[in-house]
Amino acid sequence: MILNLSSYRSLTGYFLGAFLAFATLPALAGVEEGSEKFVRSLADKAVHSLTTADTPRLERIKRFRELFRESFAATSIGKFVLGRNWRRASDDEKKEYLTLFEDLMVVTYVDRFQRYAGEALKVTKSRAENDNIATVFSEIQRPGGIKPIRVDWRIGTNGTIYKILDVIVEGTSMSNTLRSDFGSIVRRQGGKVAGLITALREKTEALKAEAQ
Amino acid sequence: MGINELVTMMVQTTFMNRDVAPMMFSRLFALLICALVMTGCATAPAPGDRDAVADFEEINDPFEPTNRGVFTVNRALDRLALKPAATVYRKGLPEFVQDRIGDILANLRSPVIFLNDVLQGEGVRAAHTLMRFVINSTLGLGGFMDMATAMDIEGHDEDFGQTLAVWGVPEGPFMMLPVFGPSNPRDTVGLVVDFLTDPLSIWAVNTDREYASFARAGVQAVDARSDTLDLLDDVEKSSLDFYAAIRSLYRQRRADAISNGKGSANFPAPGLSQSPLGPVLDDNEELSRSAFR
Repeated sequence: MILNLSSYRSLTGYFLGAFLAFATLPALAGVEEGSEKFVRSLADKAVHSLTTADTPRLERIKRFRELFRESFAATSIGKFVLGRNWRRASDDEKKEYLTLFEDLMVVTYVDRFQRYAGEALKVTKSRAENDNIATVFSEIQRPGGIKPIRVDWRIGTNGTIYKILDVIVEGTSMSNTLRSDFGSIVRRQGGKVAGLITALREKTEALKAEAQ
Repeated sequence: MGINELVTMMVQTTFMNRDVAPMMFSRLFALLICALVMTGCATAPAPGDRDAVADFEEINDPFEPTNRGVFTVNRALDRLALKPAATVYRKGLPEFVQDRIGDILANLRSPVIFLNDVLQGEGVRAAHTLMRFVINSTLGLGGFMDMATAMDIEGHDEDFGQTLAVWGVPEGPFMMLPVFGPSNPRDTVGLVVDFLTDPLSIWAVNTDREYASFARAGVQAVDARSDTLDLLDDVEKSSLDFYAAIRSLYRQRRADAISNGKGSANFPAPGLSQSPLGPVLDDNEELSRSAFR
């Protein structure tokens, strides 16, 4: 709300708005409010740990790995991405898959995350999907009057921890895209998770070599 | 009503007395069918294998082998021509020039957007598009400057593929079109109808100035590609199967465009009771964190 204090009318509007905000506060408390707070603090952390100028890329990747472990529900996303192939995988395969998945996410999302969760992030609204999941809608402001980018954060909570389940950029979901991508590899490898792990290993090794 | 009859009907209604357009269209369609028949289709799984059948239906890409072949050719064309041109456009031209080109292209597209706003029954959006076209064509010096956005009348996009979706026409199987890229039968029909209902292309066809349409399409392609330079590089870099990632992204983008950004297939709009398709928080989430350290 833009306040124009010189106008009596907007002042009334301001008090009315403040009153309404207090009146509706109990309804807002819960999964939505907690998730909004989580996304805001995430943006702050991203600004502080990632956007310092002249930080070497490897150092930024290291810092982002910390942030990733802290704020992404990596196991939940990894399981969803694998779909029903998760059940088919052995315990060793699951473990290796999750490690490689983290590697891939960290190296490929370090730059994108900075773009989406940096200073330009403005939370617009939020919506509870159910008792444990909320969606926080945000806009990434861009200079020069270009249309802002829509980024929606799907946040999961168990009451004590909050974690990112999905990042949806202009309607495209990270988790669903990964699921199609990985699912296709498993299918083309004859339904074997081992084939996906080999492909993941090759990919992360190539990306790491590039990051050096 | 089959797709073919639907197309014939649309072509007839939009292009009465013009015999050149249906001919062009049927040629395009014939070309497409030939391409599909040449390399064959993906083999459907045995009906007994429930998981495989579910996969096959979810992916909805029966022409996958052909589509992958076309994708390879498209990528080669992109590397050879479109991407270099888009890179020069983005890095070589002053921002002011790029903005003016973008504004002119957007203004030229307004009539088609307006038509589809109307066909979708979107009164307010139609009024915005009309106002934008009038303002930008006059105050904006023939579309040269986007004055409407400065006056807080923001633009949006529409096309006939989206209109068909709003009317309830299903998208059909995934298709990788030569040159045009990812699509499906519904959006392919949309692409053709957009061309046939566009005033500039109607004028060009009727006055034997097809080159005007080609020139504009070329500039449009370069301009659009320059917007996705970083994005597509990112996707190519991070995906294991670039084709599968593009197929998924295309469908999600279309679902988002059809709902005008108000929700998509995997991200339902408020009021829809279906739960969103996505990960749920795992019970071991906290434990798994420490397992990584």
